[in-house]
Amino acid sequence: MASTDRIARAAHLEALKDFREFIKEHCAGQPGVTDEILYDVQLAVDEACTNIVSHGYADLDPGSIILDVEVEPEKLTVTLTDFGHSFEPHSAPLPDVDAPIEERELGGFGLFFIQQSVDEMDYQVTEDGNKMTLTKYLMKPVGGENEDGSETGK
Amino acid sequence: MKTEVKQENNSTIIDVSGSVDALTAPELSKILLGQIADGHANLVVSLLGVEFMSSAGLRTLLGAVKEARSSGGDLRIASANPGVDKVLKMSGFHNIAKVYASQAEAVSSFG
Repeated sequence: MASTDRIARAAHLEALKDFREFIKEHCAGQPGVTDEILYDVQLAVDEACTNIVSHGYADLDPGSIILDVEVEPEKLTVTLTDFGHSFEPHSAPLPDVDAPIEERELGGFGLFFIQQSVDEMDYQVTEDGNKMTLTKYLMKPVGGENEDGSETGK
Repeated sequence: MKTEVKQENNSTIIDVSGSVDALTAPELSKILLGQIADGHANLVVSLLGVEFMSSAGLRTLLGAVKEARSSGGDLRIASANPGVDKVLKMSGFHNIAKVYASQAEAVSSFG
């Protein structure tokens, strides 16, 4: 059975910890939610909220960030809603993680970490705000049908 | 986030605990760059007590690695927990900086 919950905070960096703790409270101990999955989702939400605070509400009074968390047997879905500037996630430059240190840019990891940490990322600009939906599939129970660790054809 | 600074052999250990996110990373940056400016360019940053680190923390570490090296020293990481280590690996940090399993190994690497 799915369970959902919501938290809303003003878009300040002080809220990052509240969002991480909210995710932990809501998801830790749920079937299939490992420590690694929990960290991945906390990281993705942290990066997305940091972007909203730093860029979404840049030159604006800090509005709200609403976080909805939904846990289903197969997946964990979080939706972040804000009312600031929208962005185009597919046109943002990604960092070169193989570059030597002399050529390393210090920034640009936020969106990259989101993409690396969750299985699906969707971003929509709607009348009800900018909505980023992040989906993380949960670990399947060991011993399930066709899940015995043998390789399947591709 | 909390930090403790101590000298050991030829290096300065910065023991970090708590969360390094966009709110707290500037404070860590100030401490690391302050140590380098004071002539302590051989830094061991111990991350054993860090339960969460975002790209803001990574940016801080990258900046401090560059600064330490340009001052003739180096910044080496010790004891990252699995979540933090994944962040370091995702960003390719292991390819550009030295990461050790323990603080003792990182300290002795400076000779």
